[in-house]
Amino acid sequence: MNTFQGYRRSQGLPGLRNSVAVIPSVFCANTVARRIAEHVTGAIAFCHPVGCSQVGLDLELTARGLKGLGRHPNFFGVVVVGLGCERLQAHELEESIASTGKPVETLVIQEEGDTLRAIEKGVTLASRMAEKASRQSREEFPLSELSLGLKCGGTDATSGLAANPALGWVTDRVVEAGGRAIFTEVTELIGAEQLLAGRGTNPQVAGEILATIGAIENRLAAATSNAELQHRSALISPGNQDGGVTTVVEKALGGIYKAGTGPISGVVGYGQYPEGPGLYLLDCVGQDGEAVTGLVASGCQEVVFTTGRGTPTGFPGVPVIKITGNSVTFDRMKFNLDFNAGRIMEGATIAEVGAGLLEKTLRVASGELARAELLGHDELFCITRI
Amino acid sequence: MAKALKINTRDNCAVLLTDVKGGEPVEVRTDAGVSRLDARCAIASGHKIALVGLAVDQPIIKYGEEIGRAQTAIEPGDWIHLHNVYCRRGH
Repeated sequence: MNTFQGYRRSQGLPGLRNSVAVIPSVFCANTVARRIAEHVTGAIAFCHPVGCSQVGLDLELTARGLKGLGRHPNFFGVVVVGLGCERLQAHELEESIASTGKPVETLVIQEEGDTLRAIEKGVTLASRMAEKASRQSREEFPLSELSLGLKCGGTDATSGLAANPALGWVTDRVVEAGGRAIFTEVTELIGAEQLLAGRGTNPQVAGEILATIGAIENRLAAATSNAELQHRSALISPGNQDGGVTTVVEKALGGIYKAGTGPISGVVGYGQYPEGPGLYLLDCVGQDGEAVTGLVASGCQEVVFTTGRGTPTGFPGVPVIKITGNSVTFDRMKFNLDFNAGRIMEGATIAEVGAGLLEKTLRVASGELARAELLGHDELFCITRI
Repeated sequence: MAKALKINTRDNCAVLLTDVKGGEPVEVRTDAGVSRLDARCAIASGHKIALVGLAVDQPIIKYGEEIGRAQTAIEPGDWIHLHNVYCRRGH
């Protein structure tokens, strides 16, 4: 039976890591948050450029993203740092995170007095939390307690031939076991919407899939008056084309392989967690940082990221496992890549390689560091905007 | 010999797993077995080779699905890419 070692939480899925998150509710609190985290082992600051002078959906997405991040099971506890006059109030963030039952503390710079006092208080709060976290031990959990994020970037022809089919095999095993898997990159699904809608568990889900993909396509097309760029073929990068991918539909189909072959249980909004087990589509764009942040803000405890050309990026506090189907890339970027699915290109079956990837995924879940963690990569935290 | 992979049995193109020069033979692997054809031009690893002749507007099938259509007539062994494919969903 497939199991992993995680940290039990009072509600929801277990954590795979046990960090303390220091989250500014507004960019004005970034330096205080960063300095607090610098002083405390096991603390991570999540600095960002938003939280004020925003309205409507843009503000709502920021709030949902930061709340989803704070509620994430990989964080033992959270210190929220506010300025005091910002649009997204620190206490609103605190209340949402506290509803998970995890420890949350809030400090507001204008109430503490100044930067120095705020840092002093924050260091005290975060270090007490980190000390408690360090006393907790891992326990064994079944595969049904895993929520896996699926992502690809730097695609080449091997992504759709080897890496995504291998990850798709893993996705099918996680979902069959009663776990969760979430795919997103809705911008990359354009062209394959009818195929995906056909996999919805009921007509309502099928309609949501079509509406989600249609809305992003319309938004992208409306964002420019340049007719050439309104065209969905503009979604393919020169790197994709050099690698042999010709059309958006071909790229989409190759990417969709990583979501396996099973039914799609629903569409989740940005910052929302799936209500039950199954395969879900997250409504988020495909840019690596925004998409991985979206997967994290929907509760994925780890992300498996397929790449053809090779990418080193990571997310603080959440393992991002890099796999490639390109053995040349794997050899060249050894210390950035965790798993080589390139054996499929040489004749191994998808099931053989997929089983090896599942084992790797469970080892990383249990505490083995992914290469991106080992090398301190943290580029992927990026709150989406409209 | 150069090698190519036909992913789905419905496909009418295969993906080169190694570079091939014009006129050289290519071994095409499928679930159903192995076949052979000659590349009509140099094709880089990762790019597609036509397995059958295609008239203008005929679908290019990969992953068992239509990924685009022939913009010009395509011969078996031709390189299939931006220069001879259009995508109905976008153009």
